[in-house]
Amino acid sequence: MSTIGSDLPRRDAEDKLRGRTRFAVDRQRHGTLHAAIRRADRAAARIVRIDVTAARSMAGVHAVVSAADAPGRYGIGVADHPLFADGVIRYHGEPLVAVAAETLAQAEAAAAAVVVQTEPLPANLTMDQSLAEGAREIHPDWARYEELVEGGTRAGNIAWEATVVRGDTAAAFARDDVVVVENCFRAGRQNQAPLEPRACTAWLEHDRLVLESSTQNPWAVRNGTARLLGMRPSDVRVIVPPVGGGFGMKFEVSIEPIAAVLARTADRPVKLVLSRPEEMRLALFRENADIWLRSAVTRDGEIVAREAVVLMDCGAYGGEQPFLTTMTAHTLGGNYRLGAVRMISRAVYTNTAPTGAFRACNGTYNTFALERHTDDVCTAIGMDREEFRRRAVLRDGDIGATGQVFEGDVLGPMLDRMRELRGIEPRRPRPGELYGRATVVGTWFIFVGPAAATVNVNPDGTATLVTAGVEIGSGSTMQAIPQLVAESLGIHPRDVVVREADTDAAGFDLGVGGGRTTVSLGAASIAACDDAKAKIAKVAADLLEAAPEDIVIGPGAISVAGVPSRSITLAQVAAHAQTTTGPISGSGSFTGRGTPSMPGCAAGHMIDAIDIPVFAVHDCELAVDPDTGQVRVLAYRVVQDVGRAINPRAIRGQIQGGVVQGLGYALHETVTFDEAGQVAQSGFETYRVPLAGDTVPVDIALFEGAPSLGPLGVKGAGEIPILNVAAAVACAVAEATGRQVDQIPLTPPWVLTLLDGTDQLRHRHITRDWRANVLTPPELLEAAAGIRPCPIPR
Amino acid sequence: MLTVNGAARLVDAPPMTSLASVLRENLALTGTKLVCGEGFCGACLVELDGEAVPACLVPVGLVEGHDVRTIEAVTPRGEPLGAVQRALKDSDAVQCGMCFPGMTISLTAMLRANPDPTADDVRDHLSGNICRCTGYARIVESALAAAAALREIRGPRDRANGAPRDQASRTPRDRASRAPRGPVS
Repeated sequence: MSTIGSDLPRRDAEDKLRGRTRFAVDRQRHGTLHAAIRRADRAAARIVRIDVTAARSMAGVHAVVSAADAPGRYGIGVADHPLFADGVIRYHGEPLVAVAAETLAQAEAAAAAVVVQTEPLPANLTMDQSLAEGAREIHPDWARYEELVEGGTRAGNIAWEATVVRGDTAAAFARDDVVVVENCFRAGRQNQAPLEPRACTAWLEHDRLVLESSTQNPWAVRNGTARLLGMRPSDVRVIVPPVGGGFGMKFEVSIEPIAAVLARTADRPVKLVLSRPEEMRLALFRENADIWLRSAVTRDGEIVAREAVVLMDCGAYGGEQPFLTTMTAHTLGGNYRLGAVRMISRAVYTNTAPTGAFRACNGTYNTFALERHTDDVCTAIGMDREEFRRRAVLRDGDIGATGQVFEGDVLGPMLDRMRELRGIEPRRPRPGELYGRATVVGTWFIFVGPAAATVNVNPDGTATLVTAGVEIGSGSTMQAIPQLVAESLGIHPRDVVVREADTDAAGFDLGVGGGRTTVSLGAASIAACDDAKAKIAKVAADLLEAAPEDIVIGPGAISVAGVPSRSITLAQVAAHAQTTTGPISGSGSFTGRGTPSMPGCAAGHMIDAIDIPVFAVHDCELAVDPDTGQVRVLAYRVVQDVGRAINPRAIRGQIQGGVVQGLGYALHETVTFDEAGQVAQSGFETYRVPLAGDTVPVDIALFEGAPSLGPLGVKGAGEIPILNVAAAVACAVAEATGRQVDQIPLTPPWVLTLLDGTDQLRHRHITRDWRANVLTPPELLEAAAGIRPCPIPR
Repeated sequence: MLTVNGAARLVDAPPMTSLASVLRENLALTGTKLVCGEGFCGACLVELDGEAVPACLVPVGLVEGHDVRTIEAVTPRGEPLGAVQRALKDSDAVQCGMCFPGMTISLTAMLRANPDPTADDVRDHLSGNICRCTGYARIVESALAAAAALREIRGPRDRANGAPRDQASRTPRDRASRAPRGPVS
């Protein structure tokens, strides 16, 4: 029986239920010291003096470290981020000093005893302030920072700018047969809030550094820590226990170098765990964003031109945002056929805590903006919303914003599937409530990236899978990939032993995120199995007295083609190999094929086209209470493009979880700053994550068969469920209230404000002339894009 | 001196130290998860004299002489999973796993007080248990499935008179503590 497509249980569930799973936060080595961080209490200041004399002499203290102990800067696009504030404080909560002591209480007491004297600077707490004429530069030395990736345009408070120019947008807007629709949108921050906080224990072993960390990306932690500590990357070993939730927050190096510097200084193991208030105030939030969209559309529903400006608040340091600016081209430009398009996506520095990856990064707010805009377009041209989408979504052979060619008709048939799922009878609101419903589309792109895997075939008939894949809860590493390996080797998934991620044991991997895990690590694992199977066939051929090419490796047995009675087991082959060829193992690797885009259309993008598009159609019915502003979800439905479902039940679990996380984003998860620039929400009392009573069971249809280069046609399924939720909710609230819904979250007070009537959002820091928003002279971008005409894709 | 999972334990900690911290740091019982430290998330629930309480809010000085039971003892090693755990496992509810020890203790306590809950009863009860991964639907379904399984075990006589009985759980320790239990507030 094939294991592919069956609802196999999770191997790690029982330990997790019995409380036996030991996450990084639960582990303790002998002689471990505990660490605390002294943080900045202003959003912007010059550091006059930091005196650690008293702290150093306090009971139990073994190490006190600050900027001088870890010079250098790190980042993704630009190395702009020091480990500790170096002369200047750029956000409230920025680390100044770290202490390691015998007990956590001693470390906290010593951190509090550090004398810090600062001189305040004017803080830019909003992108509006950072982009204002004459605004203070948060990084006056920006031009001198090392660029880690070429091709980005940046200046002053603009950490990174990515642009797309395809076709003659100006000419299209000037046509006399089009309707022009223009909107501004704003989306708030969202805290990933995994239940396991960031936690790391660091120690030295034979002059090498070992980090046991709660991370999604062991190789990024290894390389980032080595860079900051001036070590050879291979001298840093990262091992990763089960991770108690990540959602993107643990995708980049974060607290690990601080633990490492302390361990090196103290010459003892050091454990650093962030407190819940630290996690709530300094999470690597999903960035708040300001968006402007303008479209020229014919009465027939043809989008002849679209312009977009997307401002992403990266906080005090760029972090992952220079990379994430890339996503706008795909999340805004990969859903609908666009005649001509120009887009700007900018990461903007502010004096706030840095932001970064969060499940369907960038896509959640761009999909919200795009779908609300689309509904306004429909109103403007007088076309039914579903009819418009049916006509305008990408079809086989259409091109995306950067000229990438799409294969297959996917969104159209998915809209048909949603119509079936929805049925005819709408849910009923309570008397007095306002009813709204919306169906929205969304597009996500998987950047597959490189991955490596090793499979050891054991003489007892099992196989050990070694990868840098981390189990963050999604089930990719502990559920889907072992299923793929089991299928390939003809053994039961329980006979696949999964090695915990360890950079000393496994080859490079880009990290667990973006929907790439099952695709990339899965493909590498299957390649490793193929390598092993070639060896298995040789040994089996020897045992069965047949030619290797006649050997069939089937479920539970290895036999000679056409003679099923002549068969042996994998255990027999592996045991025989031990004494003849040597033990059997296979290695495999995988990376994206590099999908072509139109030359010259995209600038500042780290990826011009992405290998695997993933589509989703969501439908939401809701009721708005006009007296309280409360939004109640009545029904929620999802049709999700999964390529091929390896474990359908596990995917449904991901969809339910992602939708509920999206409901929190759309309706109540709110991040605000007090006047000092500190995040006001310090715990679950004030930061309202969804509770059981807020949720509805989601009706789900998995859409299989869309083209994918993933193994067996699989696509990542865990990233995308959150993508369309804010869009669906906002469009439904707009229908229910008849108001212009241009901001999320739609908290009860905000919904009441909408009902009372409020002005439409206008961004002062976005100019309505697209060309005036861009750093590079627009003529250069237009020349590079070959306007006019734009080159035909090759 | 406290009684933890049936054994007397001598703990050297200041009396205001939270029970959660003592369990994790002094007794290596890390199945009790410390997530919010404010009593909102339910990850650190333990049974104190048979009642589910957030261990992060209980000073260890107040539990002297009381009976503490952690997730490690809800189903001791070697014994089959309890009804709630079984249902959570069978429905593939578990994702990252951080909330599930607390979920198990919370739902087990709820089913003792209310053996025949509705889905709304379960959702209301879970207001003190945060899960960031699953979106709760399978947890609610699992609680209802566990309730049905437990009613089945108790047999038709109980169902006929409808009286809540607390022999619902199968382990000897469950039967040992018979105080009425309410939901976590």
